[in-house]
Amino acid sequence: MNLKLFFKFVSISFQKQVTYRFDCLVGIVNGFLYVFIFTSLWKALYSQFDTTVHNGFTLTAITTYAVLVMAVRISFTMDDSIIYRKVMDGSIAMELIRPTSFFFMNLAENVGHSIFHIMARTFPIVIISIFLFDISIPLEPVRLLAFLFSFLAGYILVAMLNFAAGLLAFWFVEIFPFMLFKYALFTFFAGGIVPIDFFPEFLKPLINILPFQYMLYFPTVILTGRIPLAEVHSIIISQLMWILIMGVICSLMWSAGKKKLVIQGG
Amino acid sequence: MQQDDIAIEVKDLRKEFKVSISGKGFLGKLKALFHRRHRIITAVNDIDFKIRRGEFVGYVGENGAGKSTTIKMLTGILVPTSGTANVNGIVPYKDRKKNAAKIGVVFGQRTQLWWDLPVRESFDLLRVIFRVSRSDFDRQMAKLDEALGLRPLLEMPVRKLSLGQRMRCDIAASLIHNPPVLFLDEPTIGLDVLAKQSVRNFLSEINKTEGTTIILTTHDMNDIEQLCKRLIILEEGKIIFDGETEFLKQKFVHEKIIEVEFYEDDCVMQGIPGITVVREQGCKKWLTVDKNSSGIGEVIGAIASQYKIKDISVKEPSVESIIRNIYDNSIKLGA
Repeated sequence: MNLKLFFKFVSISFQKQVTYRFDCLVGIVNGFLYVFIFTSLWKALYSQFDTTVHNGFTLTAITTYAVLVMAVRISFTMDDSIIYRKVMDGSIAMELIRPTSFFFMNLAENVGHSIFHIMARTFPIVIISIFLFDISIPLEPVRLLAFLFSFLAGYILVAMLNFAAGLLAFWFVEIFPFMLFKYALFTFFAGGIVPIDFFPEFLKPLINILPFQYMLYFPTVILTGRIPLAEVHSIIISQLMWILIMGVICSLMWSAGKKKLVIQGG
Repeated sequence: MQQDDIAIEVKDLRKEFKVSISGKGFLGKLKALFHRRHRIITAVNDIDFKIRRGEFVGYVGENGAGKSTTIKMLTGILVPTSGTANVNGIVPYKDRKKNAAKIGVVFGQRTQLWWDLPVRESFDLLRVIFRVSRSDFDRQMAKLDEALGLRPLLEMPVRKLSLGQRMRCDIAASLIHNPPVLFLDEPTIGLDVLAKQSVRNFLSEINKTEGTTIILTTHDMNDIEQLCKRLIILEEGKIIFDGETEFLKQKFVHEKIIEVEFYEDDCVMQGIPGITVVREQGCKKWLTVDKNSSGIGEVIGAIASQYKIKDISVKEPSVESIIRNIYDNSIKLGA
């Protein structure tokens, strides 16, 4: 894969996003609303009990988690209907006649998308939240670096999940129900709303064999300081292993899907 | 034929599509929800052909005959159900990216340019995609500009181009990396006469000067007559003719058409052997003459001796009418 080309396409995708300014404003309000709802919810819940620590989270820790997990999630904003649309209108044919990897081109498009969302939504939301809510982030350089790695690994995992889900369009005419299912799994098992620590014991084995917790939960708790620095490397190694597994799944689906592909509209 | 002389080789190539049949009406649809029936459609049915380097081949057939499906397999977009294909020594559906680097593709009803970008930027992106050096790119662009008149279009966003302008740009885009093999799927669709002619002139030129192998699918038989020495005719996924366009004419044109205009409109064509009156309009008549049973000269002589002729001309049926004839009668040709 040609890096120069990759970044050219990242830039095109980014520029395309910039044209949707109103979208962006609504996105900020929407993201902030979520942060506000969840922090308020935790505050109300915690006030109901005498104990101040639940599942290892103080109110400050859970508020920090709620803000940061939303920040990570917004940063991972991707258009997961790209592949579906390209199959539906047949324009996928025009991409396949180029000597480029379909996966990496798709990734470039997503990265451009995400860079825009990080600049336009993640940063404003985090900055506002720091002033409005009681949150604490340990500012250790090693930890920040570890977070960056874990964040990137999580990003690639989400991109692969979306890619694999998008490839279902090669088999099925309508994939919206699958996307809803994916969204639900992702929101719940990645720790998008409630940290994994709050889940009942019987769900833990299931969560441990799924890749979702490595997408949002672990990058977030590395940043909040919940994971001791000594354990960080093992998490990143697990993430890399999941990237490998997801990579195999994506490439198997790609080879099988190619045989099913039908170009719509001649 | 030497092996390295072959640009494209296709053997027993087959592509099937599965189509689900849903019943009619509410009950039928409801039934289909639980029990779905499928039908297999064979778009390309075990075809074989070889194309040598530098050939200009017309690939024709009615809608749904399997032309585009074949092209899509040769460009690596679709994977064949069975059989093999080889383009420039590469198996397109196994080595899609490697194949893509060595072919040019134009699908007339789509564009490979970026809708929102100016034409110049689209070309520049393709330059990076195909890893063409700046100097090679400039040289190729100069050539393409001269032939296709691209200069006035370069700063325009693709979405603002007219169909003819866009097609010129798309053809240029497919040639930026100067590929040895070019696939054109209806490149003249929707173009006006002038634009068609300039595209044809250009294709003919690169075929001659660069030795580019060109496979052209089209519904415009003038394209075929002017450009393609060889013709492959497809019907319902099978090749029904593969040979020289000229040969097709010789072998399947047994008739000539004579258009005569008389001074009077009561001329009855009697006693002249081997002719059939196909159309009459006032003093004008159209006759077909069977080449095998009587000579054109004799027929004209016989007519002239009986009636006063105002005007007369002899025509050959066009390739279009020959092919229409083949479709209509489903004449099975020794391919």
